[in-house]
Amino acid sequence: MKDSLVLLGRVPAHPDSRCWFLAWNPAGTLLASCGGDRRIRIWGTEGDSWICKSVLSEGHQRTVRKVAWSPCGNYLASASFDATTCIWKKNQDDFECVTTLEGHENEVKSVAWAPSGNLLATCSRDKSVWVWEVDEEDEYECVSVLNSHTQDVKHVVWHPSQELLASASYDDTVKLYREEEDDWVCCATLEGHESTVWSLAFDPSGQRLASCSDDRTVRIWRQYLPGNEQGEVHYLSCRGGMQRLLTQWKCICTLSGFHSRTIYDIACLTGALATACGDDAIRVFQEDPNSDPQQPTFSLTAHLHQAHSQDVNCVAWNPKEPGLLASCSDDGEVAFWKYQRPEGL
Amino acid sequence: MAGSQDIFDAIVMADERFHGEGYREGYEEGSSLGVMEGRQHGTLHGAKIGSEIGCYQGFAFAWKCLLHSCTTEKDSRKMKVLESLIGMIQKFPYDDPTYDKLHEDLDKIRGKFKQFCSLLNVQPDFKISAEGSGLSF
Repeated sequence: MKDSLVLLGRVPAHPDSRCWFLAWNPAGTLLASCGGDRRIRIWGTEGDSWICKSVLSEGHQRTVRKVAWSPCGNYLASASFDATTCIWKKNQDDFECVTTLEGHENEVKSVAWAPSGNLLATCSRDKSVWVWEVDEEDEYECVSVLNSHTQDVKHVVWHPSQELLASASYDDTVKLYREEEDDWVCCATLEGHESTVWSLAFDPSGQRLASCSDDRTVRIWRQYLPGNEQGEVHYLSCRGGMQRLLTQWKCICTLSGFHSRTIYDIACLTGALATACGDDAIRVFQEDPNSDPQQPTFSLTAHLHQAHSQDVNCVAWNPKEPGLLASCSDDGEVAFWKYQRPEGL
Repeated sequence: MAGSQDIFDAIVMADERFHGEGYREGYEEGSSLGVMEGRQHGTLHGAKIGSEIGCYQGFAFAWKCLLHSCTTEKDSRKMKVLESLIGMIQKFPYDDPTYDKLHEDLDKIRGKFKQFCSLLNVQPDFKISAEGSGLSF
């Protein structure tokens, strides 16, 4: 099992600090990392090694917690504990901060671009999720402030093809949001985790949502649309007697007993998930080939102990090169791995 | 015969009777103290919420006048959000503390207010205190 995840290299991305998050650009050629040293670094390959191509250092006054590339790959958004979100425009190897989004009352924990590239979401310790709209002139406007969570919101992520937003919180829930009649509303709350939900990832098809938690489990949720084949029908009767069909999300799988500490991050490929754990390990799970899509089962196909010398904060699959995985840790390092699907699966 | 039974009853059951009387007196006293405390608590909390929403309403009405002459496209979103905020504030049930969506609606008002401030690029700093305005030098 050890051979299925092989180390390709390590870089001291944020020395004497924590590396909090990683994001591959849509082309898969660059990796952005951010950390407690308030800097963002952009990494690219030169031959066989990874080198730092740019350092974005004047953007934030405090830790940069997350970074996210726009779908076109020309912009990078960074979320910081200084309560702001910076938007950087890429000009070859240079990045220029073109806008700073303010409004959150305290630490911004996450930022994510919608697949259309016109919307951005941020979330914060102030318990709110903000949705921003960007126009052709790079002007950002706040479209909605959502106060649905009752505690710190840790992560936001967009559905790969629908304008559907998901958020994870210290209040143990995952919430989903969509635009209804010109306003954004919370359209579903996923309950089940017994502690903070740290991260979320949609699978590439968008049919499933994976969540990971301080309760040391991974949960997979599936969307059941109105008129679905399982015969699950859900109605809501509103004032005025009108009935609306709701989509419902169900937990179809729980992976427990595999992680010995908090799971901080999860990354999905079709049929495979990688997890970043507080026990310094990286794990990869593969969906069993004959499992029922309504009740899938997963097997642990890679378990790398001591992937880092401290908590692993993030794992990210390269969007173009199959099996290429990047990870980062409290030890300040970024590591690159090659995942080989084990024989017989 | 019946008379002597009553006398003995009175003595034997005295303990329980006093216990019961004491309980009833205590219960009544506790209930009325509870109602007073509850009323004070409600007044305080109600005042806080009322004060907060009142601030938002004043702010919204002032900006409605200020933006009255603006008709650019960018301002159309501001006006829409402003009208939505004013609408939500006016629909808020001030006389029904048992309204089940009270806190949900209050959170929606807060969210709309924050969005409006973001569009205006204004950071208001309301000091809502029971002691009146706090000036410090």
